[in-house]
Amino acid sequence: MTVVKGEALRSRDLYERPPKYELFFPNFVMKELCVGLFFLIILFIWSYFKNAPLYELADPTKTPAHIKAAWYFVGLQELLAYFDPYLAGVIIPTFILAGLYLAPFLDPDPIKGIGRFAWKERGFAMYSFIGGFAFWWLLIIVGWYLRGPLWAFYWPWEDHHIIKPPPPPPWSFPLPAGIAYIIAFFGLGITVPGVIFPNFFYRMGVVRYVITMFLWTFMIFALAKMFLNNAFNLKYILVTPWFNI
Amino acid sequence: MKWVPLGLVRYTFCLGGLSVFFFLLCILTGPFLMMYYIPSVDRAWADVQDLSNVVPFGRFLRNLHRWSGTLMVICVPVHMLRVFLQGAYKPPRQLNWLVGVTLLLLTYLMAFTGYLLPWDNEAYWAATVGMTMGENSPIVGSKGPFSILSQDKDIAYILRGGTMLGQPSLTRFFFAHCVAIPGAMAGLMGLHFFNIHKAGGMSGPL
Amino acid sequence: MGETVAKAEKVVKTTRREALRKGLFWGCWGIFIGFAGMLGISIVRYAYPRIVWEPSSTFKIGKPDDYAVGSVTVMGDRRVFLIRTEGGFYALSAICTHLGCQPIWEQDNQVFMCPCHGGKFYKDGINFAGPPPRPLPRFLMTFAPDGRMMVDKAKEVGLDFILKV
Repeated sequence: MTVVKGEALRSRDLYERPPKYELFFPNFVMKELCVGLFFLIILFIWSYFKNAPLYELADPTKTPAHIKAAWYFVGLQELLAYFDPYLAGVIIPTFILAGLYLAPFLDPDPIKGIGRFAWKERGFAMYSFIGGFAFWWLLIIVGWYLRGPLWAFYWPWEDHHIIKPPPPPPWSFPLPAGIAYIIAFFGLGITVPGVIFPNFFYRMGVVRYVITMFLWTFMIFALAKMFLNNAFNLKYILVTPWFNI
Repeated sequence: MKWVPLGLVRYTFCLGGLSVFFFLLCILTGPFLMMYYIPSVDRAWADVQDLSNVVPFGRFLRNLHRWSGTLMVICVPVHMLRVFLQGAYKPPRQLNWLVGVTLLLLTYLMAFTGYLLPWDNEAYWAATVGMTMGENSPIVGSKGPFSILSQDKDIAYILRGGTMLGQPSLTRFFFAHCVAIPGAMAGLMGLHFFNIHKAGGMSGPL
Repeated sequence: MGETVAKAEKVVKTTRREALRKGLFWGCWGIFIGFAGMLGISIVRYAYPRIVWEPSSTFKIGKPDDYAVGSVTVMGDRRVFLIRTEGGFYALSAICTHLGCQPIWEQDNQVFMCPCHGGKFYKDGINFAGPPPRPLPRFLMTFAPDGRMMVDKAKEVGLDFILKV
């Protein structure tokens, strides 16, 4: 190590650099700032040419026919069109958040695949997460591109000026069928994977397994309800005097 | 002296760092917008019109604020996806994952309250829908299942500052967007970074 | 002998000190949590406005002859639909029972359609398609002494209510 006279001795001159490592500051921070600068330039150009949306002044006396949320909430709006408000607005987001919060505690393995994409070892966790994530973006795309005035479904080649006639009245499961459907759905959803993959069950442990499978089945349950609503015009699976699902 | 592995900045574009970057950009541009914006139902929309048509650089500043916020709303979930796929929520980083999910929620709340502020049609009806969602929550909402609170006591009443949307609501959204949520986010972000440091650095390429 | 006594005394002292330390520790936490809880409750209480300036729930509309038979009048500033049938009048809430947007009256199909999430209601307020969970509520209507009609949004009535004229 040579120290040039007159220059201050810096800490990076004193320590040997470990192989394949760099200093957090300044090397790493500078790289991050370079990426930031790149996006700053893009953002400046974008902001110069594309204006932020501003619609007409709020009119509390009339909802416009073409109303649509900002794009990042269109997925939620699309979800809300299938469920009662307490479900789509409160219960489903709560369950999504609960699933996210619980993720570190539901994963039984503390070390597998940290810091890399371990598709083989952590396939179930990774594909579940990607599935849910992709579904959220799919909802946004459907809501943004395939919904026209009065939140009716329009294919891209259909004219939005033609108001679609109202659909036929929907139907609901009678109460016993609804109870049977829900019990069967959650019962099978929670037990069947454990029977087919006993190793998975033993590795998870009962509590983790049940919570994971409950959240998973809930996701599929919501999807199935959306499918039944679209395909068979079903309104409710369960009708009770206090709440409907 | 802190050494980090080489090649952390790679094809996934350091999404967490970018989220902070866009957050800082919003923090920098926001107060300037506040100089011309008054959170009043009679003036808010006109102020935003003024800002984008009369004030020099006003439109550019608003665009910058809006688009960097939009990019943050994209970056934060994708950052979470990256973290999950790389197993970076596993020990010793569980606490950081919890803080991160809270930050994601706050980012969405920030986006929501932010686009209510211009008080245009989109804002008004989005606020209506959001508040009615609160009204329909089980137990604590007046219209939800098993409700125990009346319409002038439920959770939507606190959020709106009344039984209908109006001036108190806009004032509350303004407070949430400009003070409460960014404050909470800044604090949690500090915790987030401190946790990375404590857990011994990043789990892998960003 | 004396040594053992001293030792036992020492043990007692240490355990007592330990208990004191633990008590202080949890006591401090208790005080902290108590204060934080009180702060939280007072913030929630602070957010409840005691007085709100909102329009009265009761309002006067025109005389029966002002509205044609079979017409639907949208009173947007009151969020009410006034409907005249051959038998008389009824007033429907113009707030979608799903998530609070205002349905739009479609004259061609004779239905109310909500723009936000696609809820549909018949002319009598019954929800028949889309996500709304309940029919549009009907409000009490009465005659004022001067012959004009009054609507009271605070009082909901049954689906068969009609103000006969």
